[in-house]
Amino acid sequence: MILIVAGATCREAVRSRAFLGLLLIFAVTALLTRVVGWVSATDGNIVALDLVMSLQSVIGVLVAVATGTVLVQSEIQQKTLYTVLSRPLPRWRFVIGKYLGLAAALIAGQLAMAVIGLAWVWITGASLNPWLLLAVGMTCLEVLVMAAVGICLSMLAGPLLSAVLCLAVYALGHAVATLPQLIDHLESWKRTLAVAAAALIPNLGYFTFRGQAIHGHGMTATDAAVSLGYAALWIALLLVVSIAVFRRKQL
Amino acid sequence: MSDLLEFSSVSYSYRGDWLNLVHALTEVSFSVPQGCAYGFLGANGAGKSTSIRLVAGLLHGHRGTIRLFGQELSGEDHRLRARIGYLPEQPYFYDNLAVGEYLAWLAQLSGMTVARIPAAVDRVCQLLDLGDLKKRSLRSFSKGMRQRFGLAQAIVHEPDLLILDEPFSGLDPLWRARFKEVMSLERKRGATLCFSSHILGDVEELCDRYGVIDHGRVLEQGRLADLLGQAPLELTGSGEAPPGAIAGADGTWSLRIADGERERILAALPAERILRLERQKIALEDWFVQRIKGSHHAGVKLGVAS
Repeated sequence: MILIVAGATCREAVRSRAFLGLLLIFAVTALLTRVVGWVSATDGNIVALDLVMSLQSVIGVLVAVATGTVLVQSEIQQKTLYTVLSRPLPRWRFVIGKYLGLAAALIAGQLAMAVIGLAWVWITGASLNPWLLLAVGMTCLEVLVMAAVGICLSMLAGPLLSAVLCLAVYALGHAVATLPQLIDHLESWKRTLAVAAAALIPNLGYFTFRGQAIHGHGMTATDAAVSLGYAALWIALLLVVSIAVFRRKQL
Repeated sequence: MSDLLEFSSVSYSYRGDWLNLVHALTEVSFSVPQGCAYGFLGANGAGKSTSIRLVAGLLHGHRGTIRLFGQELSGEDHRLRARIGYLPEQPYFYDNLAVGEYLAWLAQLSGMTVARIPAAVDRVCQLLDLGDLKKRSLRSFSKGMRQRFGLAQAIVHEPDLLILDEPFSGLDPLWRARFKEVMSLERKRGATLCFSSHILGDVEELCDRYGVIDHGRVLEQGRLADLLGQAPLELTGSGEAPPGAIAGADGTWSLRIADGERERILAALPAERILRLERQKIALEDWFVQRIKGSHHAGVKLGVAS
């Protein structure tokens, strides 16, 4: 049942105009990054590569937020789930199926952007290394966590507010990564409070690896496994909260 | 004949504006026997869709008992819903899925085996003239076409109970007629029909049982034949008119008589003066308006408690 819902969600998402439009925007912007590389004072290939991968991450997160925050909410508003939930489908399976379908579409989008972007900078002279693939994988994890954040927030607030909150979580999630350096001088109770507050936000620093990969620096298997586990934990937690709220919703 | 669907003293309230609690259903009881066609009548906002959505599992938290196929409906038991076909009021669908794949997907969600799905999809596409549109996405569909797709998805898995919420809304006369044909075919297949409407002609044409709901309360229910049988008899005759008769232009007269007076009046009149005795057709629209107005005069109001 979950896979049946996921399959339809994925098909619906990849055929949507917004999804294809954002892929097109990425392709056009990726072409322009080469120009920035040519005019930059430093190594143009590194600059182009960095821009392409950053763009992939930003567009990926924007798609995740835009689709995640309306994924279930729009179904409630447009009543498209009436014909689905009136069938022998428990609501928890519906939420997980929707998430998995969206996740598949987002990963497909990330892979498409990676192929287009990396192929373009390679054709125009940049050299690629295998760590870039791991960086793409880490960006996928970041996007999947943000999609789960989007779904969870959309259960608690309207689509617009949840999108704003989701972007705030994205910004804070990257700020959390630098927290240890910022709170070093604080008194112990303030430091504990700051750490506790930061624990409520997913630390997206675990998935920021593209800077190192571009320069050919690697990542240990342990670090990669920790990032994967951290993403899985957050996704599971956010989906459990989403399901708990959705089960109580009156449609 | 066992009841396929049974509401026993079902009440349902939801939080409206601020802290007001809106009582959408109050002690609603009715039953839909197996094999019948049940017309659920009521004005807009009467509680028809709320009742239907409780059965479909879209709303929960009711008081009282809802029994479906003889089993009490609970929020956690979803298996019973494999035997229901549901058409929501003003149905909306995913825009980017094609008709054929969408129907196959919903049939699969209803638990239909993969081997049976292509034939089932072909059957409903043929019934509702969707064959040529099977590969088209629903994005470009008009309201009427969406309604056709809505009925197709409700019957694709051959349900035992078909619940249709305002099925004729947005249809032109030709498609209204076709919908009625399809509903009759579903009944012949063995499905029990339960649909809400405020168009009484449709109910009269299709149903053998009815229930009237207003402001969340069931006002009346029963067999449609019994309701229509309540209409007075009209006796037409010629010659000298009996007291109370209305004279016609061609020398005939007509007299309305109640069932209880029938034998007495007929015995008092010579047989050669009696031309015909017919039961008048009840004006269902008028009856419905009077019934609803009567309930309002009796003080049934939408319950609001703080």
